[in-house]
Amino acid sequence: MGLQWILRTLACIPLLTATTAWSAEIHGRSSTQFLWFDNASTEKKQAEFAQYLNLSITNIDEAGKLSFYGYGRATQDVRNGEGLNGRVYYLYADYRDLYDKIDLRFGRQFVNYAAGSALIDGGQIELKKAGPVAFSVMGGRNVFFDLDGEATSSRDYVFGAAAYLTGIKGTDAELSYFLKFDKDGVARDQIGGSFKQYIFNSLKVYTNARFDLPSETFSELLAGVKYFPRSNLVLTGEWYQSYPTFDSTSIYSVFAVNRYQEGVFRADYAFNDKVSINAGYNRQDYGAGANADVFEVGCRIRPIEQVQVSLNYDHRSGYGGKLNGGIAEILYEPIKPLELAAGIHFDVYERDRVTGEETARKYWGGARYKLRRDMSASVRIEDNVNARFTSDWQGRAAFNYDF
Amino acid sequence: MVAVLGCALVCLQQQSYAEKIPHGEYAKMAIKECNDCHKGEGIAPNHDADFLRGHRVLAVKAGNNCNQCHQQKWCLDCHQGGGTGDDLGQSNFGRDYKPKSHRSDFISIHPIKALDNPQQCYRCHEAGSFCNSCHSRFPKGSLRIKSHLMLGTNGQTVNWAIGEHATEARRNLQSCQTCHPEGDVCIKCHSSGKTRPHPRNWKAGNFRDRSNGKVCQKCHLPGTF
Repeated sequence: MGLQWILRTLACIPLLTATTAWSAEIHGRSSTQFLWFDNASTEKKQAEFAQYLNLSITNIDEAGKLSFYGYGRATQDVRNGEGLNGRVYYLYADYRDLYDKIDLRFGRQFVNYAAGSALIDGGQIELKKAGPVAFSVMGGRNVFFDLDGEATSSRDYVFGAAAYLTGIKGTDAELSYFLKFDKDGVARDQIGGSFKQYIFNSLKVYTNARFDLPSETFSELLAGVKYFPRSNLVLTGEWYQSYPTFDSTSIYSVFAVNRYQEGVFRADYAFNDKVSINAGYNRQDYGAGANADVFEVGCRIRPIEQVQVSLNYDHRSGYGGKLNGGIAEILYEPIKPLELAAGIHFDVYERDRVTGEETARKYWGGARYKLRRDMSASVRIEDNVNARFTSDWQGRAAFNYDF
Repeated sequence: MVAVLGCALVCLQQQSYAEKIPHGEYAKMAIKECNDCHKGEGIAPNHDADFLRGHRVLAVKAGNNCNQCHQQKWCLDCHQGGGTGDDLGQSNFGRDYKPKSHRSDFISIHPIKALDNPQQCYRCHEAGSFCNSCHSRFPKGSLRIKSHLMLGTNGQTVNWAIGEHATEARRNLQSCQTCHPEGDVCIKCHSSGKTRPHPRNWKAGNFRDRSNGKVCQKCHLPGTF
């Protein structure tokens, strides 16, 4: 199915080019890549060519209301005989401001409501400018992917509706509904809500919730405050809880589960254009006395204009295991068209006392050169040293053309 | 009721309301300049180091203006695994690109990371099918899960009571689903007349109606639930 979409899209490109005579604008990116990696399924080294195409066609009609957007890829394995693979991320027509009030979008697209999100083959209609409230309805085939490709079955569908505020300064609010079907019936039936309020010029209060109708519980509930006394300082406090809920058509929906809760506190501060730091603490509660603590610190430093250093570290201990690790990366632009980058990921982890501590490291380096304003070539190579590999090289080379 | 709603809508349309400032023209500004302006308007700075964790609240319909600067590609490169190589720091898992939250040897550390808010995996990965495509390949007993550790003189026996499987399952039931998507192993003990698995205040009718009784019939005889 995914491959058919890609081939259809590619077949349409010459026709789309012809529309330039009507002053339509065609922009996008073609990315031709070569990737080599360890295939986790077959545990063999795999090498593939990939072709990405990201396309937008705007100003198709005289009023500039109709546009098309598409994004997909095709890959060809050249080593293990896995052959041609494809994935269409989106491909939709967008018509804006019908009667100056309605936006229409049809095709494969990503939809995100507070009640649920999905990639759909279908449509979304938005009634905006109905006073301070806008309305949205959507529906279509529910598209999802597993490791090998599209895993949607013939009876996977989603539908949803949302009402949200658009015209009140400093206030955002949404109430939405999300319904998902699979081959056995109604899999998800949820109400979602989201609210944000900016007050006193330095405070943001927000909440986000999903209510699961079959189990009659809040499957997710988030309440948070952001305090920003200055433009370079943000203090965040959040409380979040969830009851793991499953599709109503899954046997797992009938089991009793514990409530998960977490409290987050973090601070983000920018000293100046050259140095910014962040630190956070997360307390996790899994019920029945099981807890975990996560501490996190990070900084971004720009000692000179051409160099950017990024450091992140977190420490987790408690239920589920211990994890100590982080990422260090450096980006350097010696001359304008050239970008060099390198980094290391380092983790020491212990899942339980029986297994003891193990270490995982990833070393990577890369370079990108801008050949022209609309052309660039890049290469990225990494080596993984961990419990599974003493050395595992993988990487990609890409040539991008913007049009 | 419809008439009242209709009248309300017409009345509301007669009034003028504040519209958000279009942000497309500011897309290439430095974040510091964005933050200065946001502070001046009483809006919290965003796109900061906390953005990966906190963007879910910003991306819902209410107040969403993401599409003024970003195409859906920007979301789906992480959520659905694609990418055209803009960020040299972005790593691959096979042919898919993966976000920085999936660092180092994520296959090994994901059982720990997945516990940090058990719902977050499902924001990008379909429950069951994505996890099961890997987990189904593991031979029985090869996963180092506390409740599944082998005991006995031959090291081939699973002792459920010592393995604390009930406590583990209540805390992290999603992980059970990754290897046992149909729950057959659970039903052996939890089917009708055996150990009751349902929570207190169980809303049996809600699940029966939505699944046309198919979920119930995995344990109960037709007409008995």
